[in-house]
Amino acid sequence: MAIISVRELSKHFKVSKHNRGTMGAVRNLFSRQHTTVRAVDEISFEIQPGELVGYIGPNGAGKSTTIKMLTGLLVPTSGELSVNGLVPWKERQNYVARVGAVFGQRTTLWWDLPVIESLSLLQHIYKIPPGRFEANLKEFRETLELDPFLNTPVRAISLGQRMRADLCAALLHDPDLLFLDEPTIGLDVVAKERIRGFIQKVNRQRGTTVILTTHDLSDVGKLCQRVMIIDHGKLLYDGNLSALKDRFSGKRELVVEFAEEYANPQIASAELTHQDGSRVTYHFSRDTITASELIGGISAQYRIRDLEVREPEIEETIRRIYEERLLERI
Amino acid sequence: MRLFWELTKISFQRHLTYRAATVAGLVTNFFFGILRAAIFVALYDLQTEVEGITLQGAITYAALGQALIGYLCMFSWFELMNTVYTGDIASDLLKPMNYFSFWMAQDLGRAAVNFLLRGIIVMIGYAFIFDLVWPRGAAQIIAVAVSLVLGWLVSFSWRFLINLTSFWTPNARGILRFFFVLSWFFSGFLMPLRFFPEWVLRISYLMPFPHMFNTVIEIYLGVLVGPEMILALLNQVLWILSLILAGQIVLRLGVRRLVILGG
Repeated sequence: MAIISVRELSKHFKVSKHNRGTMGAVRNLFSRQHTTVRAVDEISFEIQPGELVGYIGPNGAGKSTTIKMLTGLLVPTSGELSVNGLVPWKERQNYVARVGAVFGQRTTLWWDLPVIESLSLLQHIYKIPPGRFEANLKEFRETLELDPFLNTPVRAISLGQRMRADLCAALLHDPDLLFLDEPTIGLDVVAKERIRGFIQKVNRQRGTTVILTTHDLSDVGKLCQRVMIIDHGKLLYDGNLSALKDRFSGKRELVVEFAEEYANPQIASAELTHQDGSRVTYHFSRDTITASELIGGISAQYRIRDLEVREPEIEETIRRIYEERLLERI
Repeated sequence: MRLFWELTKISFQRHLTYRAATVAGLVTNFFFGILRAAIFVALYDLQTEVEGITLQGAITYAALGQALIGYLCMFSWFELMNTVYTGDIASDLLKPMNYFSFWMAQDLGRAAVNFLLRGIIVMIGYAFIFDLVWPRGAAQIIAVAVSLVLGWLVSFSWRFLINLTSFWTPNARGILRFFFVLSWFFSGFLMPLRFFPEWVLRISYLMPFPHMFNTVIEIYLGVLVGPEMILALLNQVLWILSLILAGQIVLRLGVRRLVILGG
């Protein structure tokens, strides 16, 4: 049974049009014109328990709106939505007891309380049995290294520390489902890596279903097997990350270090894009030639010292999908 | 229930730390109270009693008014509204707790600090300057205490309700200000309601405001006694229940159309 089931879900916002200038402002008082923005437009998907799904899209694509509907903060304009057997916005209190959420942009902790006091307040809010609470807290204190700032007020800790504290807060009650909205936003590389490792561990060891929205595609590349892409409120892709790469990746790159310098070492079905002495870069496409055929072809004609095949970055792939509108809605 | 007291405790501790605000509040309350008492002395002139309230009672009324400003949050309360506009409300709605009790617990902590630090101290201060009326006997003390708690409940459930307007409008501050100004007059905070003509009294008792303040004062001064007093207390309870019910209905409607901004 799917833990999340979404059918033709839409959220439309009415945005009032403002007339410009003083006369316009006066006119605004008497008549308001509205335009409808389809933030989320008839999307459908299912997520199975234990999945770790990346939900990506450019700014204003509808990611956050979807997450807000999934967490029960927004009421859909139309469509069906069932998470954990409940309709989030209808049964808010029962529903949120079984989910956890981290919003990178804001904290669920109390700003002026020491971290540990916020956490123990959550014990009462979620009615976590003391044994369970102690065990979870002990584990998270170790894996998230919370001890150095456990007694510091939330306003005084760093962003990376706050994210760790927020992750702990979201998981103390053993939620079935964890929503992460931009969990690595603004963090440095080391902090990002640590957070990713933790998310992966929670997903594997606890079996928590994780929905991750992010701008940082390396998050997705490292964590998720499945990815959903949304743009202009429409779901453009839902499936395997490597299949996406296969379908849309641009040219692959072969960098060859020759044993000697050749003048213009052209090769059929690959494009020589750059030559720097004995170091030559070719671009080739999966559809026309495989890497081994290409390497075989080159080594038949030239002496190779070293070579490297580069896959296009996931960033590059996704950027092309957004910009060139490679995907039609599914 | 445990959560309620934990939230109350945390809010109590937080408000205890606002030392500068407390001192500033105390000084202002004290100063304006003396001004108001002076006005009563001038107005009463040679009269001993107006509408059942003696000069001594009127001065005590002024002192009580100043003492209860903080406790009843007479001037403004935008805390819930602010969380709607900052989007912090999202964090609160994502927690499995009753939204009304969540705020009520915190307001109880706030009220308790203000009662102790501003209420009691202001009354002690005035007792040094003026000859004040004090409740007589255990029965009246209990009645005053009950009425005080009920007054806070009316005030809180009313403030909760009007703060919910922020779910509908992008700037509810003006609307809330209007309601607060209305409450100064009709709660009897500016002048005892008894001093006004009958029709003003009638109108004001159609609103929740007298039940926050005027009832407490009249029980304290001993002008409301016996069955009349019991009726006034029951009236407070009735208003609390209605305001809570209204708050729940409006909250339910509001959450449906709430748009949480940002991130």
